[in-house]
Amino acid sequence: MGVIEPLTKIFREVFDDEDITLSGEMTADDVDGWDSLSHVNLIVTIETRFNIKFTQKELLTFRNVGDLMDSIQSKLPS
Amino acid sequence: MIISGQYNIGHICTRQQCDKGLADKVAFRWLPASGETSAITFSDLDRHSNRFANALANLGFAPGEILFTFLPKCPEQFFAFLGTLKRQVICGTLFSNFGDEALLDRLGDSKAKGIVTKKSFLKKLGRIRDQLPHLKYILVTDIGSHQSAEVLSYPVLMSEASSEFTTPLTSPDTPSVLHYTSGSTGKPKGVLHVHGSILMQYATAREVLRLGPDEVYWCTADQGWVTGTSYGIIGPWSLGVTQIHYGGMYDAAKWFDILQNEKVTIWYSAPTALRMLMREESSLYKSYDLSHLKHIFCVGEPLNPEVIQWSRTVLKQEIYDTWFQTETGAIMIANRPGLEVRPGSMGKPVATIEPAILADDGAPVPDGEQGNLCLKPGWPSMFATYLNKETAYRQKFSKGHYFTGDTAVKDHEGYYWFKGRSDDVINTGGHLISPFEVESALLELEEVAESGAIGVPDELLFEKVVAFVHLHAGYSASKELEIKLRLHISNRVSSIATPQELFFVDKVPKNKSGKIMRRVLKARYLGQDEGDISTLED
Repeated sequence: MGVIEPLTKIFREVFDDEDITLSGEMTADDVDGWDSLSHVNLIVTIETRFNIKFTQKELLTFRNVGDLMDSIQSKLPS
Repeated sequence: MIISGQYNIGHICTRQQCDKGLADKVAFRWLPASGETSAITFSDLDRHSNRFANALANLGFAPGEILFTFLPKCPEQFFAFLGTLKRQVICGTLFSNFGDEALLDRLGDSKAKGIVTKKSFLKKLGRIRDQLPHLKYILVTDIGSHQSAEVLSYPVLMSEASSEFTTPLTSPDTPSVLHYTSGSTGKPKGVLHVHGSILMQYATAREVLRLGPDEVYWCTADQGWVTGTSYGIIGPWSLGVTQIHYGGMYDAAKWFDILQNEKVTIWYSAPTALRMLMREESSLYKSYDLSHLKHIFCVGEPLNPEVIQWSRTVLKQEIYDTWFQTETGAIMIANRPGLEVRPGSMGKPVATIEPAILADDGAPVPDGEQGNLCLKPGWPSMFATYLNKETAYRQKFSKGHYFTGDTAVKDHEGYYWFKGRSDDVINTGGHLISPFEVESALLELEEVAESGAIGVPDELLFEKVVAFVHLHAGYSASKELEIKLRLHISNRVSSIATPQELFFVDKVPKNKSGKIMRRVLKARYLGQDEGDISTLED
């Protein structure tokens, strides 16, 4: 399953912006409203929708959307 | 500081600095999240704010009308704020993460005539536009041409406006800045300030924050809140101080890059941010040279002693916690250089401020005992009213004192110690959240029959929002529904109002007149005695 399409849908829902287009280099500074509190919403939604769990350590290593996508992909059944 | 009776904040922060010989001095270095750094001089600040004042005049804005900024941190925020005040139009500022319900409450109550925003925020405004009959102009900072008679290009308006503007002589009681603040009941209230507040902001920036002509100052607060205007604009620029303004989010390494590379000497931040920094690997700090940094101050919520100890050990710096409110407009009680820091204390009153600890009936409470933290009215930055809520304003005063809503203890040596709120308002990360707003937003969803929201202690945020939801028959709790509820609050109210924890319950406790008993919810959450529950409904 491709990650980018469902992840884009989650970003649009969490940040209430239908125009969000994801790219690997994108960071919190590129998305209006992506602060530490809405980040919690983002992670909870990703974990629920993809049925995965991130460790605290993993959460600290995400530098951008690309890292997030790689981590999701690695947790999905191949 | 006041010359020829001119109290206008916009004038004093720009033109007056130029007249003092600081025209070519850097007013702020703008550090965008990505891209080139730029330097804006006091002369630039004066010309840009003049253009904005003229743009408002050209659009027919009259003194006393209201314009809001709804922007992330960006240079236009400062030009618009100061230009609006020069025109004697009241400037309200809105936190850029507000949802459409929060916007509607504030723009609707104030009957704002205009708003400055960016293109990506137009969607939020579009959803509430038809409920804002008084809103005439939406000025957009990042569109190159006017879209309609009401959606106008800020760059076009600025390019067409003159850079010369003579600020009208402004008396100290002229309305200036409007910030909305949350209470435990009802909608947010508009706290209206006056231009004379600059006396207090100037004095405290100089005497508490120790700002002087050679300092490089960084206040991390967003301009949507009172700290961002009082100490991210007015205080420092009334003193001609060079500021750093950074457009990015919290990032420990980036923040330390800024402190080091910009040679910041005075830093004003928030306890939550400092606690986040404290959680980083200590090795992070060892590679930085912070030898320029003289003082660290913070404000927002009480600073726990652990952070002070951490800073003494790791940063080799004292952190001075300060206390004030939206209503007070400026720092009232503070730790500061020259005063021994008692970790966990609010410090002592600043010059001319007379606090008192009073019982509910106004009787003085002895030193060492908890009571209502009150202030003797009359300081220059005291709010003038709650917009359209004069009765609520008057209710804040009793027995010759302003009741702050905080409770505190004064010790025998004159230090004040914060104890809590006398109402249900939640202080999360330095932001006051009304439980009523959270509960109301939840009730908008068809699944929700009853809701209750409380603040409970949190190691990072000081308090976190916890919500309790009772569902209508036919609906059942699920992770997906929890997400729906969380996102609804985040997008309708604000990300900061989003519950950190959400519980589905069989019933939300209410008293016999239907009032939510948040006290009982809190006791249950904390596993404490529920106290008197004789008024609990059956």
